[in-house]
Order: sequence, then structure tokens, then C-alpha cells
Amino acid sequence: MRRRSLAWLPVVLALTATACGGAGGELRITVATFGEFGYEPLFAEYERLNPGIDVVGRVTDFESHHKGLITALAAGRGAADVVAVEEQYMPRVRRSKDKVADLAAFGAGGLHDRWAPWKWQQGVADDGSVIGLGTDMGGLAMCYRRDLFQRAGLPTDRDEVAALWPTWERYAEVADRFAEHVADARFADSAGTIYTAVLNQAEENYFAKADDSFIGDTNPNVRRAFEIAGRIGAKGQTARVTTFTPDWNAAINQGSFATITCPAWMLTQIEEIGGAAGAGRWDVTTVPGGGGNWGGSYLVVPAQGAHQREAYRLAEWLTAPEQQRRLFVDSGILPSQPAVYRDPAVLGHTNPYFADAPVGRLFAASSDTVRPNYRGLRDADVRPVFGRALGRVENGQRTVGQAWAEAVDEARRIVD
Amino acid sequence: MAVLLARLDRRVTPYLLVAPFFVLFGAFGLYPAARTAWMSLYDWDLLDGPVAFTGWANYAALFADPGFYRALANTASIFVAATVPQLLCALGVAALLDRPLRGSAVWRAVVLLPNVVPVVAVALVFAQLFGRDQGLVNWVLSGFGADPVDWRAHAWSAHLGVAVMVAWRWTGYNALLYLAAMRAVPRELHEAAELDGASRWRAFRSVTLPSIRPTLLFTAVVATIGGFQLFTEPTLFGGADGGADRQFQTLVMYLYEAGFERFDAGYAAAVSWVLFALCAVLALVNAALLRRAVRGG
Repeated sequence: MRRRSLAWLPVVLALTATACGGAGGELRITVATFGEFGYEPLFAEYERLNPGIDVVGRVTDFESHHKGLITALAAGRGAADVVAVEEQYMPRVRRSKDKVADLAAFGAGGLHDRWAPWKWQQGVADDGSVIGLGTDMGGLAMCYRRDLFQRAGLPTDRDEVAALWPTWERYAEVADRFAEHVADARFADSAGTIYTAVLNQAEENYFAKADDSFIGDTNPNVRRAFEIAGRIGAKGQTARVTTFTPDWNAAINQGSFATITCPAWMLTQIEEIGGAAGAGRWDVTTVPGGGGNWGGSYLVVPAQGAHQREAYRLAEWLTAPEQQRRLFVDSGILPSQPAVYRDPAVLGHTNPYFADAPVGRLFAASSDTVRPNYRGLRDADVRPVFGRALGRVENGQRTVGQAWAEAVDEARRIVD
Repeated sequence: MAVLLARLDRRVTPYLLVAPFFVLFGAFGLYPAARTAWMSLYDWDLLDGPVAFTGWANYAALFADPGFYRALANTASIFVAATVPQLLCALGVAALLDRPLRGSAVWRAVVLLPNVVPVVAVALVFAQLFGRDQGLVNWVLSGFGADPVDWRAHAWSAHLGVAVMVAWRWTGYNALLYLAAMRAVPRELHEAAELDGASRWRAFRSVTLPSIRPTLLFTAVVATIGGFQLFTEPTLFGGADGGADRQFQTLVMYLYEAGFERFDAGYAAAVSWVLFALCAVLALVNAALLRRAVRGG
């Protein structure tokens, strides 16, 4: 599922045929999602299986959806019965857990074996209440341009490419080799995406797992991610485009960069943006450092809803293994449940646009190696600070050292 | 009885007739403003509501934050870069339209066109024009042999880009206001100036400008208030964070970040009250300055 939609999608109200009277006594359950969840056919099936239930979907773009959800939760009204929440907003929802239903009360507690442990954990609050059921996940791989690699004299076969960069330090060396031979394209899209991928492979980021104290200034993992990404940026080896902006689209379209860390849901975007001209030029291989996750969502049931039990039943059904399998086969939405992503049909899945890369195997393997990283309550306040500092390095306005010092100062001010 | 009713009618009806405005203003203007003031005295989480009463702590933190002064400086800089040339331009356009022209109605309609295009569309188009890698502006610059500019990376260029956008939208609108005011200047005054042998420029300075002073004041105040509430244009121009160095984060973007990125509603409420006070002060300063500038001509 997209973290951000590419276009300002209009609010789509899927009004079912029952709107014009006739069906008396039907219970209406509204489901609010963003981007592409692929739920519409499932709604129809659920209605068939459950007479008397009328499911209505509401789809908006990433930003509007989450801002609207926060506003509705704060106001105590206006939220849908079932709401999708992207993982970066989950810590915030976990903190205000009284605003959403504890799904354990409806029997969710016994379902935890369905999900990858880290995925399940993100949906559980500190006191053990279950506030969200995982939908998809964003297992991380590396997308690269075969044609640009060939021009740089690098191997193009995905296994050989994977062997080039077992670690991020080696990835940075490949960036140097690439820059020696290719002048009209950059090695990566931006320092920010590299930084995010390196950082999220570490168990602790800005806050200590033990006591939630700020460790962003002393944690070697943060420093290392910043140095690796910062150096690549300082050498001008990034195209300096922010993900999901028009510039980023143009850069994909014109082949302005050779590699990008790509979660499962990004493949659809690259394909849509690149169009026919990009077919067969892209390939997918493993990401340095083993694996990772970027994105993926949960279904939550706001406590303000009048039909929480029915809403839970629908959410449970939508996230059940059978439906996750179907969503992957029909819409390429990566399941977050090991039993499903180890299914032969999923593992054997290849993507013709990406030179028939075995995406099922790649993303499943990546997801297996995900270590959940501890975010902390104020992670979202601090995280953008370091991203902007890297932006200043890419612009050539600061050295890596200066930007690091500034970011640490700014972050300390925020957490004090 | 009938007399009483008639008297009551005379007394009460006017109030009933103006009541809708005051009811609406109370509900959508006064109440939110009062509630915002109330919120600004609390540590108020957007999701969880009031956490603790903190008195003036939000304001103290605000005035101690260098980020606030940076946003203030950005806002002022963009405001000056957008407003001064814009109002002068509008005066020029209005003076031209004030002459007998063929098809003057058409010209007036054309002048207003940029203003009726939705701001989002304008911002998206200008963001493309000022693109770093594929922008038309950089393409033209390189045609003249100049280096392409990374418009969003530097304060001056980002401010300029946003200012152009704002000026593009509001020049025609202000020109029409000036034109309406110029039309109302008594002809006798112009004729008298002509008899006295005043040049066209002199007549404009000594007759036209003093006569349209109220309109000048009005446009200056409205532009100030609008300029200090700038949000959509810079956000769509270069992203909601206001740049890697916050080089084009305006005050309202700063407010938005506090309230809707950090969920610190109390702090955001404090920002909005400071913004309100700023606009009020600036409106008064504007009035004083203009009175002095146009006095006597």
C-alpha cells in the first residue's frame, strides 16, 4: 500500500445500490482506507457472506486520510467504523489507545500466531491491549536499473548485484565505482531513503528501548546511518529528489538514478511512472544489511463507533490469511503473515516489468529478517530533523559533520 | 395593543435583521478565537485533549524558539518581496486601464483572471516552472548562458518563487480596486490640474493618489493580513517542511507543524494568537504610514 498517493485522489464514495431505500434494517459498516488497499471486491463478497451487512468504503490520499482520522478521534465523532492506519502513525494511536477499541475484547488476542511477530507487536499497546490488525507490510528490497549498471561496467545479474553489497559500506563503494563511469545519472535517489533504510535495520534508533530516553546523539547506529547516507549525498551521488514528488516521478521516468530501496508497494508506482519505456530496464535484488520494512498498515476500530463488534468482525475477516493471499494474487499487496507469504503461490510470484524478478521470494526473505525497531513516543518529532540535515548536506550547504552537529542540537532542544 | 406591536416592531426588527451576521460571526469567528486563547494556556494534545494547565508556558517557549523568529523573518521577507512590487504594479495597471481604451471591459476581465484560478492549480504550475531539473525558468536561464538555479535550496530563490506566485494572483485584483477608486475621483479636479499646467505624472501624484488613499490603505491592510497568513503557496511550492534549512517555512506552516505534525495543539494555539496580534499591529502601522505618505502629495 502506498505511503503517499501519487495524485490527489478525490474522495471516492462507493455508494452501494441499497442507498435508494428498499433494504430496511441493514447494518452499515464504513471502512476508511488510503491509496490502494484493493478491498472493493472483498467488500462485495463479505456482503454476500453476511446478509444484513452493508459495507461502504471510503478512499482518500495518505495525508488527508491520517489528518482526518486524528481530527475525528480528537472530536469524538466522524471516524469510520474501521480505519486503516499506516505504521508511522501507529505509535501515536498506541499512545491514545482509549480512542480505539481493544480488539482483545472481541477475541483478537488468540490471533497473534497469524502475523510475523514484529508486525503483531506494532499493533499492541503497552498494557497488552490489541489496537490494530496488520494488513500488508513493506518488505524492503533494492530496485536497480540494469541498463545503467551495464554502462557503469557493473554486473547486471541480480544475484551478482546482491553480492556487490552485503553491507551498506560496500554499497557506498559501488556508488563510487558507478560515479566514475556514468556522468548523466546518479547512483541513488536521495540520501534520505538510504538513511531510512540503514537506520531502520537497527533495533534502537533515537530512543532507548529500556527507558525511552533520548540516545540519538550517542547511538552508533544513528551516526553510522547518517555518515553513510551523508557521504553519498555530499559526493553528489544522489539525484536529490524527494520520494513521491513530481521531481521524483520525472527522475524515474528519465532514468536519473540507478538504485532505490523499494518496499513491495513501490513496485506498482515505479511501473506506473516508468510506463512502457521502463519495462525490462528495472530489476530487483536484496537490500544491503539483510532486510527491512518500510510502510504497511493496520486496521483499527475507533472507540466512538456504534457497531464495534461488527466492525471488528469485518476487520478480522479482511486481514485473515485467505483474504491476504487473494489480495496478493489480485493486486500484488504483500501479506504480513508468514503462512501466507511462504505459500508456494506467493513465493513463486515474479514481476514481468522488473525483468521477471522473483519478488515473492525477495520480499518474503526480507520480511523474515526484519527486527522490530523501538521507536519511542517522540520519534516522530525527532526523525524529520535528521532528514532535513541530510538535505542540507545534499544541497552542498553543510558538511556531514556540520549537519550532524546541527541535527543533534536541534533534536536535543526538542526532547528537552 | 396594535400600537405596542408597532413600537416593538420598530425597536426589535432592525436587530433581528442584523442578527444572522452576528450569530454566524459568533459561532465561526468569536467562539473559535476564544477557545483558541483558552487552549493556548494548556499543554493540549491534539488527540488526548488538555493534559495540564501551563499558563503562559506556551508563549514563553514560543518567544524562546529560534524557529519562530526564522519563520517570522521568512514570512516578512516573502511578504515584502510579493507585496511592494505587486501594489506598485497594480497602480500602474489601474492607471493604464483608467484611460479611454478600446474593449476596456475585456481588459478588466483579463486582469482578474489569475485571481479566479484556484490557488492549488496556480501553485502546482509555478512549482513546475521553478523546477530544478526540468523547470522552464531554468531552461530559459540556461538559454542566456546562466547556471540553473536550485530554487528551493536557497532562501532568496525560494522567497522569490513564492513571491512571484502571490503577485501573479493578486496584482489584477488590486488593480481593479484601484481602478474603481480612480473612477470615483471627480473630473473637475483633473480638469483643474490640467488648467494649472500640471504634467500627467504631477496630476497622478497630487490628484489621483490622495483621492484614492482609503483604497490604498484597504489594499495594504488586506495584503498584509493575507501575506502573514501565507500557507498554501509555499507548501505546494517546496513541501510542507519548508525546506531542508527551513528557508521558506512561513508562520502558518510553523503553526501547522506544531499542531498537526507534533500534535501540540496548545502551542499551535499560542502561535495563532501571536499571529493575530501581529496582523493587528501591522494593520495599524500600515494605516499610520500610508496617512503620512499620501498626505498632501
